[in-house]
Amino acid sequence: MMQPVYISAASALSPQHSFGTDAPLQPVMSSDNGRLYVQDADYSKFINPVAIRRMSRMLKIGISTGMDCLRQSGIEKPDGIITGTGRGSMRDMEIFLGDMLRLKEEALNPTYFIQSTYNSINGWLALQTKCTGYNQTYVHRGHSLEMALLDAQLLLNETTDKQHYLVGSFDEFTDEYFVVKNKIGYWKQPTPHSLDLYKHNDTPGSIGGEGSAFFMVTNEKENALFSIAALQMLQDYTPAEVDATITRILEENKILLRDVDVILCGMSGDSRFDGIYKPLFNNTTVHTTVGAFKHLCGEYDTSTGFALWLAAQAFKTQQVPDAIIQKKGINPSVKTVLIVNHYILNSASVMLLRANS
Amino acid sequence: MAERIVVTSLGILSALGNGVAANLQALQQQQPGLRYPQLLQTIHAREFLLGEVRYSNDELSAMLGLPTGNNGYTRTTLLAMVAMQEVLKGIDKKELQDEGFAFINANTVGGMCSVEDMYEDFLSDNTSEESLKYIDTLDCAESTQNVTKHFGLKPFTATLSTACSSSGNAIILGARLIQHGIVKRAICGGCDALSRFTLNGFHSLKNVDKQPARPFDNTRFGLNLGEGAGYVLLETEKSAKERGAEIIAVLSGYANTNDAYHPTAPNPNGDGAYSTMQLALQKAQLQTTDINYINAHGTATTANDAAEGKAIERLFDGHTPHFSSTKPYTGHTLAAAGVIEAIFSIGALQQQMVWPSLNHTSQMEEVSIAPTTQLIENAGINHVLSNSFGFGGNNVSLIFSRA
Repeated sequence: MMQPVYISAASALSPQHSFGTDAPLQPVMSSDNGRLYVQDADYSKFINPVAIRRMSRMLKIGISTGMDCLRQSGIEKPDGIITGTGRGSMRDMEIFLGDMLRLKEEALNPTYFIQSTYNSINGWLALQTKCTGYNQTYVHRGHSLEMALLDAQLLLNETTDKQHYLVGSFDEFTDEYFVVKNKIGYWKQPTPHSLDLYKHNDTPGSIGGEGSAFFMVTNEKENALFSIAALQMLQDYTPAEVDATITRILEENKILLRDVDVILCGMSGDSRFDGIYKPLFNNTTVHTTVGAFKHLCGEYDTSTGFALWLAAQAFKTQQVPDAIIQKKGINPSVKTVLIVNHYILNSASVMLLRANS
Repeated sequence: MAERIVVTSLGILSALGNGVAANLQALQQQQPGLRYPQLLQTIHAREFLLGEVRYSNDELSAMLGLPTGNNGYTRTTLLAMVAMQEVLKGIDKKELQDEGFAFINANTVGGMCSVEDMYEDFLSDNTSEESLKYIDTLDCAESTQNVTKHFGLKPFTATLSTACSSSGNAIILGARLIQHGIVKRAICGGCDALSRFTLNGFHSLKNVDKQPARPFDNTRFGLNLGEGAGYVLLETEKSAKERGAEIIAVLSGYANTNDAYHPTAPNPNGDGAYSTMQLALQKAQLQTTDINYINAHGTATTANDAAEGKAIERLFDGHTPHFSSTKPYTGHTLAAAGVIEAIFSIGALQQQMVWPSLNHTSQMEEVSIAPTTQLIENAGINHVLSNSFGFGGNNVSLIFSRA
């Protein structure tokens, strides 16, 4: 039986005010063009000044989030660094590809090529922290971050030492990505205002988003914010399988549905994928608050990172921001949180989180 | 004490041919698979020797019983499927599925090989129907998902990408998932197809050699790129015995580290390579003197071979075993390199042969050790060390031992 793992720090750069602020999600940011972009931060605080000049936006976002998480946790050098990304540094890839096509394979700038490799942010984080330990990058679409978290859980169960792994995700939204994925129905038509996303969940498509989130994952219970009690990934799922997974996880952890204080739903306003969330609204009683997050961060491969960050905030402050609430429950505190998410390419995940008590 | 993880099936497709037998025969006969590309459409086609798999996409599709033409499968996926077909040969797929298994795939540029030909059409207002079939193929998990679907399997799947050490990491993850009891078996490996994107990427870094690559040679300049796919089936010794499977080799040790030195270049002293090999030995509970052959990363870039050479010389301290790089045979197959070389290492154990390094004529000035350049038969090999080091400082070492 695997031991649960603990999260001792969380950092996120997102389309919302989530980074280095005492007032997260205030004011709530929104858009009406179907795209939500990260709120830029002062990246120079987190990155070597010489290196930062040539870095793409994705690298700055990912590295800064990772470094901020380290700072928050007070750990200078983690035991390893594990990331997940569906798209890597998309813009670098687009630029190198575009240049290659336009310049007919001549006189290309290697910087974009190097930065486009999926493990480049991992490499930079290792370099900046002098962390020579375990280093891994998952690129498995809607399960990229989940795999990174699972890997950390495996590692922490392979040791009797107190260890700390920096685990995170990053994904970037680009204009070209918007154009390309528009051809296969990723985006809702007509484009809704982001805060009205769920008013149109009878039609297919969603809104695009991006973000980075990093977590300090440890087997040290002391000073942790919460634990990941269960993590389950489903591929080519049916709504019934997701429902059964949630039931099984709650049973295994001896939790009644009414004792789940908050459920964070990854519904994206897309009618094709709404089936796994309906039971959550229908089956929950007056006790549970049901929330959603993709109207705040948009749809992307690693949006569970934003949800996990929201959960960390809720555990820390014992409050659920109004901006995420879809159905308000009466449970007075935040001790148990369930994250249920799907991604457009037929993947889903369920995470059970418990306050550190 | 964790259960022993063993290898019970192999599958490989490289410039040396289709299948384990063809690949090992080419190594034994010292027949490299490099050529000027005939399939990859690039202005550099007459300039760079590449480890191009001999089969066109149509030929690969035919081998898989798929329709030819633009069938929606990228070359990356087709290479992966052909290698997977070999791994699954003689395996009871129902047993595999019912008892729980993982498919851990590694990849560096997804379906770029197709996307780069269609990208302008993707962006245009009137994307063709043909291109639309490939529009979701750029990411790395595309091949993973298509392979499982093609073979009617529904395993635990994961895709990872750590540059040139990717499929070494896939093997490590598979072993760990088995040890944790999450799955009973794991098919692990990687795939990468040649693309203009990667060729021009490495060329822009000025580390692609126009001549055949010369690993651990003083005149080395750079690598030759290649393509391919490879997979190994891992399970516990107990599980293999239960189903009466032949145990081909034991995965006795592994390690994953990071150089934390530079975005692309290795630590010039080879510190990263040194500690990775050392940790893999510790994991295997072996001494340096137990290793009989090292299948080196040996890309023939100036930086890698100096760093890796120094690390081997320092770690093995006067007792350096036979070592060679098989990259001049296959080209550097990036995400597939780790598993392809793992299979060559296992082949060395099975056939008791050391695969000779090619194109070595002058002693490297950075070290006093030199690769083995003649085929050694009846080599008395009990343990083989296989290295994969990548961009971003991602290092992997694997140790395979006789069954």
